[in-house]
Order: sequence, then structure tokens, then C-alpha cells
Amino acid sequence: MPAILEVQDLRVSYTAGREVLKGINFTVDADDFLAIIGPSGSGKSTLIRCVNRLVEPSGGQILFEGRDLLKLGESKMRAERRNIGMIFQEFNLIERLSVIDNVLTGRLGYTGTWRSLFRAFSKDDIRNAVRLLDRVGLIEHLDKRADQLSGGQRQRVGIARALIQNPKMLLVDEPTSSLDPKIAREVMTLIREIAREFNVPVLCNIHDVDLALEFCSRVIGLQEGTKRFDGPPSEIDKHVLADIYSMEVL
Amino acid sequence: MNAPVCAVAKPLPEWRRFRFPQSLYKYAVALATLGFLAWSLDVLRIDVERLPGILGRMFEVLSDRYWPPHVHHVLESAYIDAVIDTFQMSYVATILGLLIAMPLAWFGSFNMTPSRRFLYPAARLIVMACRSIHEMIWIILLVAIIGFGMLPGTLAMTLFCVGFAGKLLAEAVEAIRKGPVEAVRASGANKLQVFVFAVLPQVRVAWTGIAIYTWDVVFRAATVVGFFGAGGMGHFLRESVQRVESQQVAAIVLSIVLIVFVAELLSAWIRNSISRAIG
Repeated sequence: MPAILEVQDLRVSYTAGREVLKGINFTVDADDFLAIIGPSGSGKSTLIRCVNRLVEPSGGQILFEGRDLLKLGESKMRAERRNIGMIFQEFNLIERLSVIDNVLTGRLGYTGTWRSLFRAFSKDDIRNAVRLLDRVGLIEHLDKRADQLSGGQRQRVGIARALIQNPKMLLVDEPTSSLDPKIAREVMTLIREIAREFNVPVLCNIHDVDLALEFCSRVIGLQEGTKRFDGPPSEIDKHVLADIYSMEVL
Repeated sequence: MNAPVCAVAKPLPEWRRFRFPQSLYKYAVALATLGFLAWSLDVLRIDVERLPGILGRMFEVLSDRYWPPHVHHVLESAYIDAVIDTFQMSYVATILGLLIAMPLAWFGSFNMTPSRRFLYPAARLIVMACRSIHEMIWIILLVAIIGFGMLPGTLAMTLFCVGFAGKLLAEAVEAIRKGPVEAVRASGANKLQVFVFAVLPQVRVAWTGIAIYTWDVVFRAATVVGFFGAGGMGHFLRESVQRVESQQVAAIVLSIVLIVFVAELLSAWIRNSISRAIG
């Protein structure tokens, strides 16, 4: 499988001199479900945000299908972002918009500015939004306002919003930490299913090690901005975890 | 015998709320505040003993010269036309002012501005310039430039509205949640799309409230701009004052109080029902 994403020597420092990421290298293959685990503050969230440049890296290369994203100007980067869907920890829905309008925001990158000002999304986009909401099990809630949904339902809207972009890769940032354990597994199951269905690789940030081991095909362990582990879940044992979390794991 | 709470006798630090340098600053500030107040009272020659008599004299003057108000004066069609003019002036000025203030609020909000280096300081500067010049000074300036009438009043109220609403609208934008902004950016949306889809829905209620409140404040100011030659009901006030028609003045002032009061009630009621409907 060819790599769809290749990250080389990625560095980020928010304040000069203090690096949050200290030269990270990894690749994401076209059929990967890659989990990033690590303690709080290890740079997981920063790492994932560098890929679509919500966070601006200070050095390194991010090759997406061979194109270096860090060299792109603003409008070219916006065009690339359409290829990268993102699912968030706090769902990040627009609470006062309806469920279907939230999903349709995923098409803004493809919609002209004037059309989008009047929310004049194309008929295809609207049909697609309805189809995706049906797929994630929210067909009865199309017109509800997003803030009327439960946590699990909101995350499903977030998933549909990422999918409508027709992405070539999904970035997933702590999808389950605002959810209870049962809903968390349902959401992870759904993400795994759609990743197969839509044939997109997933780069997923997750603090729950058990979920990572169960759902992911590969794991990267991060600690204080450096990569400590990169391999399949089967290779993760007590010692690896002790190393990543720099503590005794019982 | 019970065991002592602290087994090892360790010297504990003594804690005091105020320590030497801080306590000195505190008393120095208090002394300076009071000292300046005493000095100002002395310079202004405010005779505290005369204050209680003022109420009595005020009542005397009011009952001698201003009572009864010539109510029929404010019921004449010319005055009622002026009230409608004033209303229209405040309405046009508020809408124009808001149309200018809304993009300025976007540019002048630190978190959402499209350019922190140019647009942000430029927008802040415009809003601050409108604020720092009092609306009455705008009127005097504009009447001097374009002459008497509704136009200088409307323009002055528009500028006032830009300064007033521009700041409040921008503050509402600065208080939004960042998450939805990130999500919309991540979809490849441009800056205007991010503003329309991630910011506007979040500030819709606050902005509507601010818009109506702005109209209310603009209307209150518009009732007196005529005093300086800028049209509306204030013009009648000036004429009556100059002719020393005190009973007419009384009627006009009472009508202004009443109308402003009604406008405030109306604006509060509309704001409440809107935030209930779309909050």
C-alpha cells in the first residue's frame, strides 16, 4: 500500500525555544486506522492539527499524496483541506444551526462564496447530506437544531460533516472523550465502519488505550513531543505502555 | 492524653493579609483619592450647606414659570411631524451605522479578524475615532459643514452608531466558542465563509440585542440634536428656550421624557422576545 500521508521531522513550537513536537516522522497508508496515544500534553492534538494546518508547524514536511502541504499558500491549502475530513472531541457543531446545515458546512470548500452566503448548496450536496445522515442514523433529526441532540448524536453529525467533504483521509481528534463508555464504543465502531465503506485511512488521536488497541490497525506512542513507539497493537505490552506514559503500568 | 496534631514542632510562617509595601500603596491610593475629592470640592466652591435648599427653589421655579405645561403645543401637527422625523432619523442612522459597524466588528475582533496586522488596527481606529468625539460635537461640526437640516443629524447619529455598536458587536465576536470556527476552517472554507457559518450563528442573538439597544440610544440622542440645528424635535426645544416660552419648554421636555421612556420599554420588550424566540 502506498503512503497517503508522510510526515517528516515535524516540529512545532508555540513559544520560541519550547518545542511541543520535536521532530516527528511517520506515514499513514491508504488502509490504515492509525491511533496516536500518549499522556496529556504529549502533543497528540497539536500533531493532528498540523496535518490540515489548523496549527502552523515551525519545521518539517507534511507530504499528502506527495504534495508538501507546508509549502502551499492560503488558497491552495484551503483546497487541500477539502480532501481531509476532521472529527472533533467537543463535536464543534454550530449549535444554532440545524443538523442538515451543520452537515452542509462540510461542503463550503466546494461552494462559491456568494452561493454559500445564501446557504444555496447544490441539489447534489443536499441529497448527499440526507443520505449521510440516514447512514449515521439521524434521518429523523434533519431539521432539529444541533443543540437539541445528545452527545452521541452530535458526534454522528460531526462524522457526516466530515464525510460529505468526500475526504481522502480522516483526522479524528479524541472522538470519544466527551462521551460515556457505551456511546464511545458505538462511535468508534461507526468510524471504523465508515472508514472501510468510504475507503479512507484514519489518523486518530485517542487517550483511551483499550479503545486504541481494539479499533486501530497501528499505534503511535507519543511522549513530550517525541515518538516512542510505532507498530501494530499486538506489539504493545506493559513495557511499551510504561515507556510511553513514563510510569509503572499495573 | 491525645496525641498532638503536629508531632514535629516545625516553625510555621506567620501569615498577614497586608504586608509592608502593599499596605503602604493601599493607604496612599486611598489618601490620594480623598485628597483629590476635597481639593476639587474646594476649587468648585461647592457650598454643601446650600444643597438642601436647591430642591425647594427648583420646585418654586418649576411651579412659577413652567407650570402648567402647554400640552397643546406638543399636540400640534408640526411637532408631531418633528417627532416622526426624529424617529425616522434615528432609524435610518441606526441601520446605516450597523451596516458599517458589522464589518468593522468582524475586522476589529482580535480572534476573527482576517488580518491582525492591517484590518484589525484600522477597524479599531475607526471605531475609536467615532467614539472619542461626542455626538453633540459631531453635530456642531457637521452643521457647520453642511448646514441645518436632517442630513447632518442623520450623519452624526450614524457616526455615533458606528462607534457605539462597533465596539459592542466586536466584543460579542470575541466571546464566541473557538471549536466551530476550527471545524468550519477544517472543511476548506474561506474567511468570509467561516465568519458567516461559524461566527454569525453564535453571535446572532447578541447582535440583535445590541442592534435594538443601539437604536434606543441613538433615538434618545436624536431627540435633542435639533437643539444644535440638526432637525427633529430638538429644534422646537431650542425655539421655545430662545423665546423664553417656559411652559412650552416644559411640555416639550415632558414629551421627550415620555417618548424616550416608551422607546426604552419597547426596545427591552423586543430584545426579550427575540432572545426567547431565537436564543
